[in-house]
Amino acid sequence: MINSIRAAVTCRWSARRIGRYLDADPSAILSARDVARLEGHLEVCARCSSALGEFRFLDRLLGSMTPTVDADSLSRMRGYLDRVEQTSGGDGRV
Amino acid sequence: MEQPRPADGSGATAEGAARFRAQVEPEIEVLLRVAGSLTANQADAEDLVQETLLRAYRAIDRFDGRHPRAWLLTILRNTNASLHRRKRPSVVEDEVLALGAPAFGKESSASAEDDAIAAEIGPELRAGIAALKPAFRQAVILVDVNDLSYAEAAAVMDVPVGTVMSRLSRARAKLREHLASAGHLRGAESEGGVR
Repeated sequence: MINSIRAAVTCRWSARRIGRYLDADPSAILSARDVARLEGHLEVCARCSSALGEFRFLDRLLGSMTPTVDADSLSRMRGYLDRVEQTSGGDGRV
Repeated sequence: MEQPRPADGSGATAEGAARFRAQVEPEIEVLLRVAGSLTANQADAEDLVQETLLRAYRAIDRFDGRHPRAWLLTILRNTNASLHRRKRPSVVEDEVLALGAPAFGKESSASAEDDAIAAEIGPELRAGIAALKPAFRQAVILVDVNDLSYAEAAAVMDVPVGTVMSRLSRARAKLREHLASAGHLRGAESEGGVR
């Protein structure tokens, strides 16, 4: 029984870190120790490994929805940037 | 020696102007993408970015140069809020974030298989995103769709990084449940395993 409780605690601990593990964001990097513990758990826990796969899949789907920036729009903004720099008061007037 | 400024005191010093070009121009595309998710149409997005660029130019000499993108996104957020106050004094918080035009089939897709999966599941995913609470939706659109870091998303949302992480976690869990209930996650678990 104590092993199943321990496993459940580790699953819960892992579930709370999978997002940070996948994102590897500079603001919330997991320690090497936590990465090792998480990866060790993922090797042996089918449920958590499955969850990781689903989150990875979701991440790919969301990433595929990144809107494309219209090239003309980008060009207009760069042109505006030029005008902002060139006008003497920096007020953006052409 | 103090840098000369325009006679009316606005604008940037020569050094500031040089930094402005170097640090701001690379971020225009990100600004347009984020502005697109905050506004109703492309014209409004461009207006927002233009006003942001102007304010950034005027503030460049006060910028420490350390995190240009987060700095610009903070200006974008504040500019968007003040533009909304001018147009519509009511609360901004309930604004529905737009996803913009779908990018299915864009050149940077990993594979034709990815395109096919995205095209099949896209509408369901969009429905799931639309069903999220606005704060959670905003987090997932900024971080997962627009690829901002936690800190950059925090700058746009005007909340601590921890709040971004919490909202993101809950949004992803909701989306996972939504897709699972629609039967779209069968087989996705094969992507499990360590990095």
